[in-house]
Amino acid sequence: MTTRLIENLRENWLYWLIILFLLAFPFLVAAQTGSSPFGEPRGDRMVMRGESVRWQAVMIEIFILAILAMSYNLMFGFTGVLSFGHALFFGLSGYIIGLMLEYTGLDNGIALILGIGLAIAINGILGLLIGLVSLRLKGVYFAIFTLAVAEMAFIFFGRFALTRAEDGFTLTHVPIWLDATQNRITLYYVALGMGIFTFFAIRRLINSPTGAVFKAIRENEDRAQSIGYNTLTFKLIAITIASMLAASAGVLQVLLNKKVGPELLGIGNTVDPLLMTIIGGIGSFTGPVIGATGLHLLDTNIREATITIGSTVLHVSDFWGLLLGAIFILAVMVFPQGVVGTWIRLRMRWQKFTKSA
Amino acid sequence: MTILEARGLRKEFGGLVAVDEVNLTIQRGTTHAIIGPNGAGKTTFFNLLTGKYKPTRGTVIYKGQDITQLPVYRRSHLGIGRSFQITNIFPNLTLLENVRLASQALSGDNFRFLQRTSLLKKHLDRAVQVLAIVGLTDVYAFANTLPHGGKRKLELAILLAADPELLLLDEPTAGMASEQVPELIETIRKIQREGNKTVVLVEHNMNVVMNISDQITVMHLGRVLAEGTPSAIASDKTVQSVYLGELYDLPGKS
Ligand SMILES: Nc1ncnc2c1ncn2[C@@H]1O[C@H](COP(=O)(O)OP(=O)(O)O)[C@@H](O)[C@H]1O
Ligand SMILES: [Mg+2]
Repeated sequence: MTTRLIENLRENWLYWLIILFLLAFPFLVAAQTGSSPFGEPRGDRMVMRGESVRWQAVMIEIFILAILAMSYNLMFGFTGVLSFGHALFFGLSGYIIGLMLEYTGLDNGIALILGIGLAIAINGILGLLIGLVSLRLKGVYFAIFTLAVAEMAFIFFGRFALTRAEDGFTLTHVPIWLDATQNRITLYYVALGMGIFTFFAIRRLINSPTGAVFKAIRENEDRAQSIGYNTLTFKLIAITIASMLAASAGVLQVLLNKKVGPELLGIGNTVDPLLMTIIGGIGSFTGPVIGATGLHLLDTNIREATITIGSTVLHVSDFWGLLLGAIFILAVMVFPQGVVGTWIRLRMRWQKFTKSA
Repeated sequence: MTILEARGLRKEFGGLVAVDEVNLTIQRGTTHAIIGPNGAGKTTFFNLLTGKYKPTRGTVIYKGQDITQLPVYRRSHLGIGRSFQITNIFPNLTLLENVRLASQALSGDNFRFLQRTSLLKKHLDRAVQVLAIVGLTDVYAFANTLPHGGKRKLELAILLAADPELLLLDEPTAGMASEQVPELIETIRKIQREGNKTVVLVEHNMNVVMNISDQITVMHLGRVLAEGTPSAIASDKTVQSVYLGELYDLPGKS
């Protein structure tokens, strides 16, 4: 038992360190900035003011994006299934939890638990069904099919009167203990927990015999079949798990923003995890997390910035898309294996260099 | 005893008839060569036997069972293994993983989500053992870093890992340096003898074919031109005129 623990610590010490840091994060920021990790009291309520709670929101967003990117990476990076419709699971799950909370009249807590369960279950089944009807399609045709389904959902919810069409609706029945405008720190830890779970669950899966087949399919599906794998089954497993994980990210997203709208289903929520995965390092465990962290920090810190050249003032937000595109092109051209892949290559080269010296 | 039988197999690609009413019987425990010029339909014939393509007409019988409609992966579970003329490996995985996957495929271990692959030792051991048989020792190298000859050996190792009863080898020595050929052929021969396997071999090197085969089938333009023992084929006038004389004197065929 103790030897296993030591083994684990030696193998994963960096992860444990990061987890400890993230657990302490709200309090560290609070201590640094002299703010409270719980916000400021106003009468009998809390208001989310101060650096600690502001940073908690940024971090929750990062956890959400990281979960979404990790789930995307499970399909694309590890199994080689390219999808353009990942936002479907993310957004639909937002609608499911929103409808449960606002439209059923159930007790808030019960509606929440049921909503989470339903969001994950329905999206898992939906992923499986989409896979069943379309995974026989090769590569880009499957991707286009998923894009079409996601866009249909986007258009549908953009017009669906019950959910207030393109305006969407706000959540007013989130249980207080998980309310991002009252007790943000609980949501912080829930999102962190989900992020950690996703990371280690995917790692376990990929390091299992099942995950080995995923990689075989990515590398050469034809050959995988010829040595005896029913590759469709494995791709279905990958898409089902990925859609359930994306659904959990969608739940967290609407709990953070307390708002449900068709933009959740927008193409951006497919493109972002794709970019994050590629920039961070496709087919690696940490790549999507690094990509999500990097791009979101860039987004929050630089997007609102202005650049003053002489008398002209440029707002970064005006050409943010352009900037992101440029980063992406640069990343793909200079570091085609992303941050993680490049790091591994440099390390290998260094090892060779020191060995030969 | 018959292990595999093709009855009236035909495959059309648009207007082209790649395999034309081929009847062929493979006896268990023998080495059966299929020869014929490029474009004769040998690879397509293999693709019909393994299920990569469905025939336009005809049936494939394996051990008395009609397998014509079975998908590729099901046939490998029945003991049919195949190697490819154009190297078909998992490029960004290690040699060990390439072969280990083939060993795992037919076991009951595929859905152990929570098990660590590295703890399933029997497949690792099997992979190392098979890689040694074909003469590959740097098992942690990535497959795409191998020279061509090494890739051909790996191709064979992937097939062997599953320990199939029937081995369909599509030009296993294609593109290999000629000094490497005898060793690989000897390996194939040894496996065939020791395991009492059935080997169907597409091969261009006539010396190899004449030495190794019990039976030879000559294909030309999708059809079976002749069939018989090596000595019968060597002295067959049609075969000589259509095929042996003209084509095998040409260097650099693939
Ligand atoms: N997938 C395919 N689509 C169209 N034509 C094909 C296909 N595969 C093979 N052919 C054609 O079928 C004929 C037989 O090819 P092949 O079976 O590869 O011959 P061999 O292996 O004897 O050299 C050739 O004319 C080839 O161009
Ligand atoms: Mg061929």
